[in-house]
Amino acid sequence: MRGVALAILALVLGTGNAVAQSMRAFSTFRQLHGETRLQADLHYLAGGLRVAPGRANELYRMDASYDEERYRPTSDFNAAAGAVDLGLEPAGNGGLRVLSRRQLRQDANVAFSPAVDLDLDITLGAVDADLELGGLSLSALTIQAGASQAVVRFSQPNRSRCRSATITTGAAELTVLGLGNSRCDRIDFEGGMGKVTLDFGGTWSSSSRAEIKMAVGELTLRLPRRAGVRLTLDRFLASFDPAGLVRSGHAFQSPGYDRAERKLDIDLTTAVGGVRIEWADERGVVDALP
Amino acid sequence: MSGSGASGRRGSGAGRHIAMSSLIAGLLFLFTTAPAGADAYPRSIPTGSAAVELVRNFWDLVASQQGTDADRPASQAIPPAAEGTPPVDLSDLSDPVDVENRLTTALAPKDGAMRVTVPGGTARRGSFIVGSAEALEGDLLVVQGDADVYGRLNGNLVTVEGDVIVHPGALVSGDILALGGEVRDMGGEIGGEVRALRSSTVFAPAAAVAPAEAGALTVVGRRLAGVLGVFLTLAALGFGLVMFGRPNLEVVSDTVSHSFGRAFVTGLLGQILVIPTFGMLIVGLILSVAGILLLPFAVAVYGLLVVVAALGGFLAVAHAMGETYTRRRMAMGLVIGSPNSYRYLVVGLGALAVLWLAWSMFGWVPVAGTLIGVAAFLVTWLLATAGFGAALLSRAGIRENFAGRLIPPEALTDEYLWATPQFGVPAGRRPGGRTPTRGL
Repeated sequence: MRGVALAILALVLGTGNAVAQSMRAFSTFRQLHGETRLQADLHYLAGGLRVAPGRANELYRMDASYDEERYRPTSDFNAAAGAVDLGLEPAGNGGLRVLSRRQLRQDANVAFSPAVDLDLDITLGAVDADLELGGLSLSALTIQAGASQAVVRFSQPNRSRCRSATITTGAAELTVLGLGNSRCDRIDFEGGMGKVTLDFGGTWSSSSRAEIKMAVGELTLRLPRRAGVRLTLDRFLASFDPAGLVRSGHAFQSPGYDRAERKLDIDLTTAVGGVRIEWADERGVVDALP
Repeated sequence: MSGSGASGRRGSGAGRHIAMSSLIAGLLFLFTTAPAGADAYPRSIPTGSAAVELVRNFWDLVASQQGTDADRPASQAIPPAAEGTPPVDLSDLSDPVDVENRLTTALAPKDGAMRVTVPGGTARRGSFIVGSAEALEGDLLVVQGDADVYGRLNGNLVTVEGDVIVHPGALVSGDILALGGEVRDMGGEIGGEVRALRSSTVFAPAAAVAPAEAGALTVVGRRLAGVLGVFLTLAALGFGLVMFGRPNLEVVSDTVSHSFGRAFVTGLLGQILVIPTFGMLIVGLILSVAGILLLPFAVAVYGLLVVVAALGGFLAVAHAMGETYTRRRMAMGLVIGSPNSYRYLVVGLGALAVLWLAWSMFGWVPVAGTLIGVAAFLVTWLLATAGFGAALLSRAGIRENFAGRLIPPEALTDEYLWATPQFGVPAGRRPGGRTPTRGL
């Protein structure tokens, strides 16, 4: 009886590691040859992703470790269009591997040259992403995140003026820090479900306009003390505490809005959940009141 | 001697003192210079790329020391492939995995020799150097060796199991791909894209590429362990159900026994309607607006109810099977130790497990194994469907309509049967308040 039990135990333990995951390391880069602009499409469906400014002499670089049974790396530069496709696309069985958390982990570090005007389009699947976009020369930004947990940072001011930043999330937890440093004329955010923090802190060098739509979830707006803020709110079943904003007609605005040199106009539409207001200075110190 | 020993000790002590002083001075130097060095590096890069670079350089150094050309074939040209063999086009390196697959086929030795044709280019085996005064036209393939470029290469460069080193002053006009190696840019100019797959499967043995199929004994062992695991889990769940919900389990079990056909049809309909009902529930909650808040709760509860109904129903079927079998044995006069629900469950699950155990043992046999597997699946599905239906019919064991319990308990006593007319008008006044309701 003991022998049978031991045999069963051995079988169970022995079959535990029957399926092995083979990870492959992939690197790609391109030297900078006088390019002044780059259209970059980054598709990344699963794993960990970091984006950051890279070396001045490299147009872009990606170092990835990927599951070769389910994905294949993409790195395709179109010299005529000045565009590059980077990332991991599904191959074979595709999708997620659900054996263990450790085995699931794909990782990629992506870097772009801070010296070229960058039109960046990022598509994320089930990704744990840390995107440091401060210090780049972003001319436009589009981020689409599915079931991701993402932090987007503008730790340094954008080196060029940005036309627009468009961020769309599905069921994601998203934090965007230092939108004031993004130098984007227009910021559009559309969220499905989840927890979202939009930090408008940073150095505001010009006025900006933000349109925010949030379906279900908790939205935290971290507003800049130095800029005049006007918030137009359309909500259905969402709680809202205007902490520090005063009502002016159909909108809420910060006390010094009319006199402010730089203004931030926010149109906010939310259905279910809550909207929380916080205030931040240029150093990122957060408070409940302006 | 003692004097010299003392001076020696003094000397060693002084030496230690000097060593300690040097160590402290060194540490102080490190502490004072390291922050400056850290500050000098742009703080906006959180990727630790400096550390990555450091590690990469370290491994480059290790690789350059380890990877001697003694392990590699001597530098030689690879002869062109025979007539009719497709050439390997290296003009497009945008899909490195595809290039690797093509090279795996092309570089497989034919008649003991490696032969490959690179259209308009060069194919080399072993390390290869493009000298500083050289200008090579066309694509270059280097197999099992490094490619050192000092001069000009007007084309793409691919290495298999080797590194690419682009030295200062060198020029590669096209793309570079290293399969099973890396690209070291020492200051040369690379006109195209650089790609590197650190490991390569081009020369990997076929057995290593395709995972070996497990033997029949291993398959049998795995399946046996799986079946035993599943049924042990079911037994544990069943014991819990008996312990905490015996009345409900017995009602569902009786419903299966007494209304098997009806339970099966209900279970079948239930299986078909599970998804549409879930969809209607979600849509209804969304349309009701206020119900949106209940969505996560409703999804969780619905899922839980379906699982409980399916699992509980299956266990009830096992209970019914075990009960029927045990009672028949008792009716034959056999003495059964403890004829209770625990025993019924074990017997029933054991009976259900028999088919799966048979499949575990003989599933590897061609045709017969498949037939046994299909039979086991069908029987399990049939019984699970009936169990699911019985759970629905009896509302998880709350209603006894189809459990064959129409006769009230008082009616089973001898006194009642003796005193109460069973037919005619007086029969309508029988005692018992558990008259079941009609219909579903």
